[in-house]
Formats: sequence, C-alpha cells, structure tokens
Amino acid sequence: MRAPPALPPTQRPPKMRIESLACLTLSLSLALAACSKHSGEAAAAQVTGAVAGQPKAGGELVFAFDGASITRFDLDPHQSIFAPHNRVFRSIFDSLVVLQPGHSFGPWLAKSWEISADGLVYTFHLRDGVKFHDGTRFDAAAVKFNLDRIKDPKNALYALSDIGPYASSKVIDELTVRVELSQPFAPFLANLSKSSLGIISPAALQKYGEQIGFHPVGTGPFKFKSLTPGTEIALERNPDYHWGPAGVAHEGPAWLERLTFKNVPEEATRVAVLENGQAGAVDLIPPQNLVQLRSSTKFHVVERELLNHNYSLYLNAVREPWKDARVREAFRLSLDIDTAVKTIYLGTAARAWSPLSPSLLGYDKSLEGSWHPDPTRAARTLDELGWKPGPDGIRVKDGKRLTVSFLDTQGNREKRLDLITIFRRQLHDSGFELKIDTESYGSYMEKAGAGDFDLVAGSLFAPDPDVLRRIYATDGRTQLAVFKGGDAELDALLVSAAKTLEPEQRVKWYAQAQRLIVDKTYSIPAYVLVYSVAAANGVQGISIDVHGFPNFTDTWLK
Amino acid sequence: MLRRIVERFLVSLGVIVGAVTLIFLVLNWLPGDSATLIAGEDASAETIQHLREKLGTDRSLSDQYRAYLKGVLHGDLGTSYATREPVVQRLAAQLPATLELTFSACTLAILLGVGLGVLSVLHRGRWLDQAIQSLSLFLVSMPAFWLGILLILLFSVRLGWLPVIGNGGFLPLVLPVTTLGLVLSVPLQRMVRDGMLEGLHEPYVTTLRAKGLGERRIFYVHVLRNALTSTVTLLGVLIGESLSNAVIIETLFARQGIGRTTVEAIGQKDLPVVQGAILISSVAYVVVNLLVDISYTLIDPRTRLFIPKGTR
Repeated sequence: MRAPPALPPTQRPPKMRIESLACLTLSLSLALAACSKHSGEAAAAQVTGAVAGQPKAGGELVFAFDGASITRFDLDPHQSIFAPHNRVFRSIFDSLVVLQPGHSFGPWLAKSWEISADGLVYTFHLRDGVKFHDGTRFDAAAVKFNLDRIKDPKNALYALSDIGPYASSKVIDELTVRVELSQPFAPFLANLSKSSLGIISPAALQKYGEQIGFHPVGTGPFKFKSLTPGTEIALERNPDYHWGPAGVAHEGPAWLERLTFKNVPEEATRVAVLENGQAGAVDLIPPQNLVQLRSSTKFHVVERELLNHNYSLYLNAVREPWKDARVREAFRLSLDIDTAVKTIYLGTAARAWSPLSPSLLGYDKSLEGSWHPDPTRAARTLDELGWKPGPDGIRVKDGKRLTVSFLDTQGNREKRLDLITIFRRQLHDSGFELKIDTESYGSYMEKAGAGDFDLVAGSLFAPDPDVLRRIYATDGRTQLAVFKGGDAELDALLVSAAKTLEPEQRVKWYAQAQRLIVDKTYSIPAYVLVYSVAAANGVQGISIDVHGFPNFTDTWLK
Repeated sequence: MLRRIVERFLVSLGVIVGAVTLIFLVLNWLPGDSATLIAGEDASAETIQHLREKLGTDRSLSDQYRAYLKGVLHGDLGTSYATREPVVQRLAAQLPATLELTFSACTLAILLGVGLGVLSVLHRGRWLDQAIQSLSLFLVSMPAFWLGILLILLFSVRLGWLPVIGNGGFLPLVLPVTTLGLVLSVPLQRMVRDGMLEGLHEPYVTTLRAKGLGERRIFYVHVLRNALTSTVTLLGVLIGESLSNAVIIETLFARQGIGRTTVEAIGQKDLPVVQGAILISSVAYVVVNLLVDISYTLIDPRTRLFIPKGTR
C-alpha cells in the first residue's frame, strides 16, 4: 500500500464496490487488444490511489480505457458482459447490494433484507429518497420491473444467467419487494451486486425500449450525457447522489464535474496519452510500462485483483490424447508456469495455483505450492504409455504424433499468446507438439461449441465461486462452455454448493472441487489477473472496488 | 461519349450489386451463427432461438436476400443485429471520421508522392534522389502501426506538440493523416519517378528537343503529364489501400471509423452492418474509379481523340 488516504475525520474507509462479469471476448481477427484486463500482483498492492490534501469538487477527468477495437457502445447493463463497458456502468448504475471484502454484503439501494429459512424468498427493504437520473422515483416496482425484464426470455438478455432460478417479484409496499426463487441459489446476492444487474429506470426502459443502451438512465453517481460510438462516453455529475454503497469514502455527490471515458484500444497509445496529459488516468497498462510507472514521481498506479476464474488452459478430456488422465498429467508436469509467468509479466502478475482467484470465496490456499513441473516424470509416464520420442523429438504412438491443437481467437491480448509460446517450447522438450489454431470469433465459437479442439484457454469474471458450475458442471454449463468432460463427483459438488446457503459448507465443497479439477487436470490455471489504473498525480482518489472495477465517486483533481 | 459514360455507369452498378451479393453469400457460408454469437457464451438454447426469430435469421437464405435487396432499394440497410440500431444510423456516425481521414491522407499522399517523385527525378543520381529513395524504402518496409507509434512518441510524448487522440478539429488529425499519408505516398512517388525517367528517354522527347522546346517545358508539360496518366490509375487503388489501412490507424489513434466497425461486425456476423459497409466502400471505390477514367481525358489528349467517334 502507498500512503493511505488522508481522509477527513467523518469519512469512512475507502469505498469498495463490486461487480463482476464474464469477459466475452468480442475480439477481432486482428491481434488487437481485446476486451479485458491486464495482470499484476496477485495480492493487489493498492486499492486506492495516493491521496494527498483535501478533496475539492469540480473539473473533468478523461479516463482512457482499453475498450478493444469495439465501436459498439451499448450501455444496457443487462445486455453486456463486455468488461470495458461494465467499467462504465458502475458510474451510471447502482445495484441493490454491494459486495464487501470477505464475501459479505452491504446495503446499497436496498437498506436491508431478509432471506427465508428455505432460501427461496428474499425480502428487500429499499432506500427511501433515491431518484433516477430522469427524475423518476426508485421503488419496489422498479426492482420488480428490472428483474422481470431480465427473466423474460423474449428479451434475450445476458443477465438472465445471473438471476438463476428467479421466479417472480411481489411489490409489498412502495419500498419493500419480495423476490421469489424456484430453488435456493447461493450466488444470488453476489450476482445482484454485479454491474450487470444494475437497476435501470423503468420509465426510460419504456420510453427507449431496445434503444436503452444509447440512453442509459440509472441512479448512479454520474449521469449519462452523450456518446460518440467507438471513441467516447461523456458523463456528468449527478448532483442528487447521496446513496453510495456501504463503505463509500464520502457522502454526497461525486467530486468530479465531468467524467469522460475515451476508448483507446492500443496500449502504447494509452501510455502516450497519459504521458502527454491528454488523459488524467488510463487502465490496463502493459507490464513493462507498469514497472516504470510504479516508480515514477509524476504518476501513481492503483491495482486490484479481479474476482475471477483465472486464465486457464482447458484440456478437452473427451478427446484423444486426453482421455487418459495420465497424459493430461504429463502435459501439466511439462509446464513450468512459474518461469513462464515471470518472463512474460515481469513480476506484475502472479502465477495461479487454483482455478479460482485468491480473493474469491472458497479459494483453496492449500493448493499453493502443491503441484510442480516435473519433466522427468512426464517423460517416464509417456514412455510407459507407449508414446515414444520420434526423430524430431515429438512423441509418436501407433504412427500418431502427440500433437495438441490450441484453439484461439483473442490473439495476444494480455500477452496471452506470448505465454502460450513459452509453454509450447517447454512442451516440446517433453515431446508434445503444440499447434496454435487461430480463428475468427465466429469460427472459434463454432469449434468451441462443437468441442473441435484439444486445448483452449480463457478466464471468466465472477464474484462467486459458482463460476465453477458455469464452466464445469454437466448441467449448469452452457452449450458453448469450454469444458467438455463430465465428472459425476464434480457435478455433485458444484450443484450442491450452488444450492446451499451455508458458507462453511460451500467453502468445503469448493475446496474439494478445486482440488479435483487440478488433480484430474481438467484445466491448468496460469496466472492471476490484476486490473491496473495509472493516473497523473493531479488526479486523486481513484479506487478499485472489491470485484476489480474502477470507481470515480471519490476521485478529485488537485 | 455519353453512351460510354452510361455504359460505365451500368457496369459500376453491376459491380456494386455483385459485391453486395457476394458478401451476403460469403458471410452466410462462414462458420458461426449470428444469434449464437450475439447471445454470448453464457446464453441458453432458448435465448438463442428467440434471438434467431427476432433477427430473422431462421428464414431461408433466399427470403433473407430478397428482403435485404428490397430494403436497399428503399434506402433501408436493415438493423444491426448486435446493437439493434438502424445500419444507416450506425454507419453514418462513423462515416465522417473515415471521409476526413481518407480524403486528407490521400491528398497528402498525392502531394508528397508527386512532389518527391518529381524532385527525385530532377536530382536523379544525386544525394537528394538517394535520400528520397532511402526514405521510401524505409516507409515501405515500415508497418503503418509502427510508424504511427514512432510519430506519437516523437511528436506527442517527447516534443509535446501534437495530441494523440481526439475527435474533430485540425490538430488531432495531424498524426493519423501523416502516418497514413506517408505510407500511401510511397507507391505514388515510385510510379512518378519511374514513369518520368522512362519518359525522358522516349523518342518524343528527342523530337521536342529538336523542335527547340525548353527543358523545363518538356519536363513539366510533357514528361510529367505522361507519367501522371499511369499514376492516376493508382489513385483508384489508393482508396482501397487507405480503407484497408484505416482499421490500424483508427485503432492506434483511437478514432472512429468504418474500418473498425466493419472488422467488428464481421467477427460477430452482424450481416446488415457488414453489407452496409461493403455497399458504401464499393460505391466509393466505383465512383473514384469512374472519376479516374474521366480524368484520363483531361490529362491524356489521346484518349480524348479516341472516345468520341472512332471506336463506337
């Protein structure tokens, strides 16, 4: 941590907010930076920017973010799992509850709530006096309207999977809403805290219909002003705002008068606009620049781990050569993840030990240091299984080469292909041949859906370990999920853990699940993502919420 | 003459319809289902089916094609699958930025290309010629994005003279236009140089000299004009070049533009947007080439002689 914020006595600890999302890679056939985040120290060093002096109101912050080469700015929170746009949502939309460190929940738009003993009924008591940006009132009917909108399959909204077994809502009185589920759903509160379940003004939804994404109206600290598709989203202060979530650093409206998000997809350009002053802050800094900016006297860096299913390699266990778990293990033993991650990320990202990122509920710390590279054992196993080294070093069995095809569409975002390239060299030493099959997004989705690959890799942002069910469970996962195998034991653990409201029991099951995934080598976790923001020293008080998204309510200009 | 122009116009129309049809078929043949791509990795089969019905992609290919052509004739390019915005509106938002960049960069490329080409012929064999040749070799081997990054580092970060990003106004346009203009100027400059060097040895130059015409007049009025005929042909190609480089320039300088929109739409199989973009670029391409054809008659008197009665 750098110097802690010098806050006025009335202020509470740094504000934390939550959200999560699955980072759908809307990546292009070009190897341009795509959707998401960069990597940094696992146990994120700094959550709030260096603060010196008394905050003052006014001014404009230009925030240059990595929005990928995406020109579509669709600011409907229920309809986007695109990480960069969710970074914008948090300034426009509030959620019912806020996720706090240690997987606890604090009040936000909901003052308090009760959960029935069977876990099927959630009664939310809402905060009074909250207004949407269009002047309409936030009330129980608004909550019902939002949840029903998501539930309706005709609307085909991404947020549908976040509400799980949501059945219906009843408006008890103006400020009380009863939400009913058809079965217990442990991740419900965590999902409600996501930006993708931000509350939209029902009046605006009725007025704009499907065009709501171009006229976003929420209750958040900043109001939407205008957007220039592909390059700019301009927000201005919401002067009425005084309903920040539990843990805000100051009551009342944001300090900044205007907040302008500029999409600067090229990382070198982001660093350039920070250095020449065109932007006050930028995100997702490449490792080499991060190292330099951390020690700079003109800039400071704010970083925080994302709650995440770590970037992992998924082995298609239903296909040869992976059907035999011993081949999968030999593959893992051939990888020296420590060295690869250090070489590529220059110490700005930690290597991962578990599929879950360390700050997620149920992270199994005992996995740390529990598995290591062992090329000698890998070679022995492969020898025993009849895979003999061929003339070029690649192993052969019954005339078949030990070739593994890695399906990819994202290119080198977050330097992921660089990492794979190092892995390829390590694997070659053990006699595996890794081929990189780069496809356009469309072909990638088709091949991934059909299971036509040996290896894929990816990460998935989520505030709850239930993310494991979305990826690995035969029942819970979607048809496009990258894990194709089926493991009855794993299924039982993940499905039960999603239905149990008992945190200790969940933690136990998730620990077993993580170990099982590692032991059976269903996936190989690679590195822990850290979201980073670099700001000029004239910009103070940028924070990153529990989930790993930037927050500008407490940001001010010197 | 008029008949010829009408004929060219009809052929151009055919080219546009052909391009739109081809892209319609190619996109449909490409793997990946639009609804699945838009619904995202986490969507249920039910959600995807709803989307398919909404987008109309559950209809037969010929139905979709007929509906599309009908729309185009009514000036309706359809609705973007991904944003549910009218395609016309979506592309119109991006078009000014593209026009601004393309037009300025092509102008710069022409000025630089012709200027440096002439200069290098005037100083042929001497150090200036060699310097220009080295510069063009440097530029032609340099990917546009790398050149752009170098210019940013020098002019924005080191010297602090120019902004890197920004919409509207002259200053934010300087670096992207310079990057693209420099890259595009190289083939022009080489064409002018080679054309003129060749021209200087043509028999008609000897004839002109024998007539007692001044070197200067021979050089600028006759040889340069001759070399320009082939250079003008290159202009049509230049538009294509500039559109294909646009994606890189737009990304690097965080600009709006048709290039990025198209690449993004292809990735998502957002057919109406891709078709709209192809329609616009093919119209631009065809119009520029039509103008190029017409401009021959101004530059090269021989074509003027041939067109009116001789051939038709």
